[in-house]
Amino acid sequence: MNISDKITRIRVGTASCGIAAGADEVLELIKKNAGNIPVEEVGCIGHCYAEPLVDIETVDGVVSFSHVPATEKGVANLLSLSSEGRFSVPEGRKAKELHKVIRLAGRICPTSYDEYVANGGYEGLCNALAMQPDEVVGEVKKSGLRGRGGGGFPTGMKWGFLAAKKAEQKILICNADEGDPGAFMDRSLMESVPHQVLEGMLIAAYATGATKIFIYCRAEYPLAIKHLQIAIEQIYARKLNDLNGRSLEIIVKEGAGAFVCGEETALIHSLEGKRGTPRFRPPFPTDSGWKEWPTMINNVETFGNVPLIIAEGGEKYAETGTEGSKGTKLFALAGDLKYPGLVEVPMGTTLAEIVFEIGGADPENVKAVQTGGPSGGCIPVELFDTPVDYDSLRSLGAIMGSGGMIVIGKNRCMVETARYFLDFTHRESCGKCTFCRIGTKRMFETLERIVGGNGVPEDLDFLEDMGNKIRKGSLCGLGQTAPNPVLATLRYFRNEYEAHVLKHQCEALICNALVDVKLEQSNCIKCKLCIKNCPVDAVSDDFIIDNNKCTRCNTCIEVCPKNTIFRVKKGEGFYSE
Amino acid sequence: MSKIKIKLDGKEIVADSTKTILQIAEENGIQIPTLCYNQKVSRTTSCFVCVVKDVKTGRFLPSCSSCPIDGQEIESSSDEVSDMRKTALELLLSEHAGDCEAPCTVACPAHANVEEYVRAGRKGDFLESLKIIKERIPLPMSIGRVCPRFCEKDCRKNVTGKPVAINDFKRLAADMYYKSYMEELPPLTGKKVAVVGAGPAGLSTAYYLRRNGIESVVYDKMPKPGGMLRYGIPEYRLPKAILDTELAHFTKMGITFECNRKLGDNLSMQELKDNFDAIAVTIGCWKPGSMRCEGEEFAVQGIEWLEKIALADWSGDNPGKVIVVGGGNTAMDCVRTSVRLGSPDVNCFYRRTEAEMPAEQIEIDEAREEGVKFSFLTAPVKLRKAAEKLIMTCIKMELGEPDASGRRRPVPIEGSEYDVEADCVIAAIGQKTDAPTDLRTNKWGDIDVCEDTYHLEENVFAAGDCVTGAATVVEGVAGGRKIALGIVDFLTGSKHEPEYQINVSRGHWRSLADEDLVYLRSDVSEEPRVALEFIPLDERKTTFKEVCETLPREKMMAEGERCIECSCTAKGDCKLKKFSEEYAASPEAIKGEKIKSGYDNRHPVIIHDRNKCIKCGICVKVCKEVVNANLLSAKQRGFSTKVETAFGQQLPISCKDCGKCISECPVGALDWKIKE
Amino acid sequence: MQEHYDYLKKIDKDPSNLIKGLQAVQASEGYVSDESIKAVAAYFSLPIVEVEGVLSFYAQFKRNKPGKFHICVCDGTACHIKGSTLILDWISTELGINDGETDEKGLFSLETVACLGCCSLAPVLSINGKVYGNLDRKGTVKILREYRAK
Repeated sequence: MNISDKITRIRVGTASCGIAAGADEVLELIKKNAGNIPVEEVGCIGHCYAEPLVDIETVDGVVSFSHVPATEKGVANLLSLSSEGRFSVPEGRKAKELHKVIRLAGRICPTSYDEYVANGGYEGLCNALAMQPDEVVGEVKKSGLRGRGGGGFPTGMKWGFLAAKKAEQKILICNADEGDPGAFMDRSLMESVPHQVLEGMLIAAYATGATKIFIYCRAEYPLAIKHLQIAIEQIYARKLNDLNGRSLEIIVKEGAGAFVCGEETALIHSLEGKRGTPRFRPPFPTDSGWKEWPTMINNVETFGNVPLIIAEGGEKYAETGTEGSKGTKLFALAGDLKYPGLVEVPMGTTLAEIVFEIGGADPENVKAVQTGGPSGGCIPVELFDTPVDYDSLRSLGAIMGSGGMIVIGKNRCMVETARYFLDFTHRESCGKCTFCRIGTKRMFETLERIVGGNGVPEDLDFLEDMGNKIRKGSLCGLGQTAPNPVLATLRYFRNEYEAHVLKHQCEALICNALVDVKLEQSNCIKCKLCIKNCPVDAVSDDFIIDNNKCTRCNTCIEVCPKNTIFRVKKGEGFYSE
Repeated sequence: MSKIKIKLDGKEIVADSTKTILQIAEENGIQIPTLCYNQKVSRTTSCFVCVVKDVKTGRFLPSCSSCPIDGQEIESSSDEVSDMRKTALELLLSEHAGDCEAPCTVACPAHANVEEYVRAGRKGDFLESLKIIKERIPLPMSIGRVCPRFCEKDCRKNVTGKPVAINDFKRLAADMYYKSYMEELPPLTGKKVAVVGAGPAGLSTAYYLRRNGIESVVYDKMPKPGGMLRYGIPEYRLPKAILDTELAHFTKMGITFECNRKLGDNLSMQELKDNFDAIAVTIGCWKPGSMRCEGEEFAVQGIEWLEKIALADWSGDNPGKVIVVGGGNTAMDCVRTSVRLGSPDVNCFYRRTEAEMPAEQIEIDEAREEGVKFSFLTAPVKLRKAAEKLIMTCIKMELGEPDASGRRRPVPIEGSEYDVEADCVIAAIGQKTDAPTDLRTNKWGDIDVCEDTYHLEENVFAAGDCVTGAATVVEGVAGGRKIALGIVDFLTGSKHEPEYQINVSRGHWRSLADEDLVYLRSDVSEEPRVALEFIPLDERKTTFKEVCETLPREKMMAEGERCIECSCTAKGDCKLKKFSEEYAASPEAIKGEKIKSGYDNRHPVIIHDRNKCIKCGICVKVCKEVVNANLLSAKQRGFSTKVETAFGQQLPISCKDCGKCISECPVGALDWKIKE
Repeated sequence: MQEHYDYLKKIDKDPSNLIKGLQAVQASEGYVSDESIKAVAAYFSLPIVEVEGVLSFYAQFKRNKPGKFHICVCDGTACHIKGSTLILDWISTELGINDGETDEKGLFSLETVACLGCCSLAPVLSINGKVYGNLDRKGTVKILREYRAK
């Protein structure tokens, strides 16, 4: 048998991360060279560090290739099922991950209804339709599922509120405005298994009596929107949306770039075509939401869990996880680690297991992990035995958030990291409440001063006091959590702040104002690349860097072939008169 | 509507669960401050000044939007809640850019309402001007002539040219109406106060006591009242006939003077305590400072010398060649008086340079015009008598490091001594308080009063130079008013003025450019400042006639057109200011970038000053929900949020007939241009 | 309404579709001009000022015409800690434009964005929607030069 005859199908991961790594070009080349073999575009299997990824389905099983180069040679290599460039899941991930929600991601064609059904898709919906709506709600309650968007509100209870409402119109909203910088779980689900998310919504609509579904998705996720739209057409064609005796409308609306719209009431305003400012609750959306109709909002990942619950039963679902947090959780792992990507673990897995065993981070080089993005907090490596669940993380001053998890290496500056988050949140504040609008701005200005080398010890007291007041004096989640990154770093890394304000030093050599650049002459081979590339002519002909001119842009460090140029403490570099 | 039970500030209350906590608190006599809540429009819940604490959950709730639940325990008056409100206000103040009060008024030690009296003058109503002035300055004829014009130094007009000639408004208004105008005086309360010292501080004390219904007797050690106005300031600056006119008004008000009575001499504290309900000590600074050099006794003391000439009705012998040692206003009075007495050679010796001279520049300039010669960086070392002449040994100085006053310390240059000859050496080095021994004094020898209240002991208060050290007439007047009100409070148990006042400022004019100034009128005059009208120089040098004339009405009306009117249009009804004062929130507490979204004065009668906006959204909602005109919207977001019209266009002219947003604006962001 | 804005007609006139309308304008013109705001306001029967208020709230909408190649530098968390500010500097130096600007020829425009959702490839940028990851200085400059040559 010819090798190519053994191949039954080729799957190319063309989710956003794959495309960014060059999967498009790889796909074209494979299509050109694969002859009659069907080539499918599939979603993300979570191993983003290995993209572009290609799975070859053969009569003997699946063979995977990673880092596939977009060259004829590279494609020929995989079509010959060569032993080179093969991909296997790292041991740590195999051992610790539990793929339930993303079990089909990257394995099936995202836009194929049939393939989804062939793999158990829509079983949940079928089961649900055989039950009374309140039984479905009861099943979700039994599962212990809590909102995956960050708040962790019990999903079944929310469904119950909407189900109990008598109204001509009831609105269901899927919050797909994944705004945390550093989080991409929702994108991945929508791109890879859009039907699974939609199935969750249909079940919810049946259980609650909803009459209209909105999917509020980030405009930055064009592929997710495309896949959702294709899936919705397939649903319409099969009349799967005929629930509760009428035809349910499913509308995808694109967000327009406002982090605050992750907040329920802001999201509703945005869907009404207004400025995305939150409003005071009560009334809660389930009482008065979109155009004053009873409205319920769930997150993408929450909906992604629902088909499993109804398919296997709430009790079975609840076997996974911890006392207060059931099921699995998706995390977007990124930062200073070996295997960044999307992971799914049972609730209660420890941070150490996720960061070190799954992520492959070097324990010697990890300082902290940031969970919950700009609304969360940094957890120091000493506390990595904490199980990941809603309540444990909150007790550490962090939050589960939607699932962004950034590993922070020892070479990063925590003050600068906090400044970065505040830069984000203060610009994303809707500007309504005093504490959030002005308070975050003032905190940001203070942090700018500190990283700029002009901090004073009183700044730390100010940050703490203002942070606590913003938490207490803000209307919505954005303001209430905005100070978290600062408060958490102040709590666990106060020494770094103190070094900045007392000694005017940045141990990590990150903060430009507290750093000089120095060329170590002994190893220099005088190749002059630094001189040629310096944008401000700070390197002299005899290879001395003048820190008066230097902008700390790192160009010379990047271009130096011998690594003889370093960032050093302020004052250790050369300064011209 | 359902009735529930809640606890509010510890008090059990039966409340309507459909009402907000704010409304319920109000019904129960608890005032909760709020800036963004307005009954006329839907709520915004933005300012968070109205927060209360839910004791059981520990959460802070915006009371304007929260309805209570049964059994809830709410705190509105605890320290924690007040601290949250204070911080909310301080955050709002930290981005709020404007001038609550005009800088001239802030700079004036008496805080006279400068902008208002200049405006009245601009319109030709100098009687109104005088009324406003006399709210703070009971001696406008004198101060209108001798004030060093603190106000003008901070005038915003300095940004584009010379300041408005503010003091000349006082002088003109007083010259025109002082004699005819009589304040409405309340009936006497029966309380009686002794004022010791009939100088500016004492006169001011008596004046404001009487305006509050309290009678007083003013004692003075000199033969006539007026203090330094009469015996220190020369005739050519303040003609004594003018002073007499000014003082006649006090008598008309029922204030009595007892002259030739000196405290600690023929007047005792005990006598006063026995006969009066309260005592105000305003005895001034009458003890000359020392030159601290050998042979000092051969010099005459400036204030004593001036006093002697004053007692002789501004006449005296030609002093011959004169050297005046010192650089203050008294030194200038001495040199210029010497010129007028016929001295052919008048010199001023000062140990620093002209830049450090404490005397007013205008005094220095006028002295120079009159022929006075200046020797700077020169200090006396020794004075001796030789035949009919005095020989003064001087030493040259150079400027060293700055001293405590911030001025560079003069240091003698070794070996630079030299001798000069003179007929008369006048020491004008400074003045000190000469307090009777039974009054408590501080280390400078001044009367040791409480800094805030000027209260000394029991029913004794003190103000003026004897508390502050030698200062200006206007500062004395300000001190007098302060103790007068203190005494009124003390005697009647009333409470004057809020204890704490805030003033948001755009900053010193040196930090501003023309585009930072907010123009309410399009016709603010850019003409040069009105010039003083001097009498001929010959006359100045040979007589004690007043050096310049009161400027005419028309010229001052034109001068008034130069005023920018920089105080806030809403200074009387700004809620941010009101609550900030109530919660002791300071504009300086939190620093950071201020709003930079500019102001819009294109509409003929409306000013939209976005730098003052607190983003409560009331105007947007009034225009949309009440007026149904939809002219405004919030734009941008976060710190950059601003309220604007479509494409930032001018508000329609028709807005002049509505103004509903203006009446609801809690600050001065949207307002009528015309100030009343 | 002008024919120019015919593409709006596909959208329901309910004001809740305002953002969708503005997105349609931006997709077609690359930015939202004053004229477009007036047209959209008329289409949805909304006051102009309200449309402007909504538009200016959302970061997605551009009020200035972007360049032929629109560069978005991701400043998401992962990209930031991996040096996105340096990337921005390198691009600024190479193209002579700052964040939010378009070059004189209208070829390149530059902006920072919150997160492109490709954190595992940090640092990343996108040009006209195409994402480039694992950037270093050389790679970044090379990409820019390729576009310039196009």
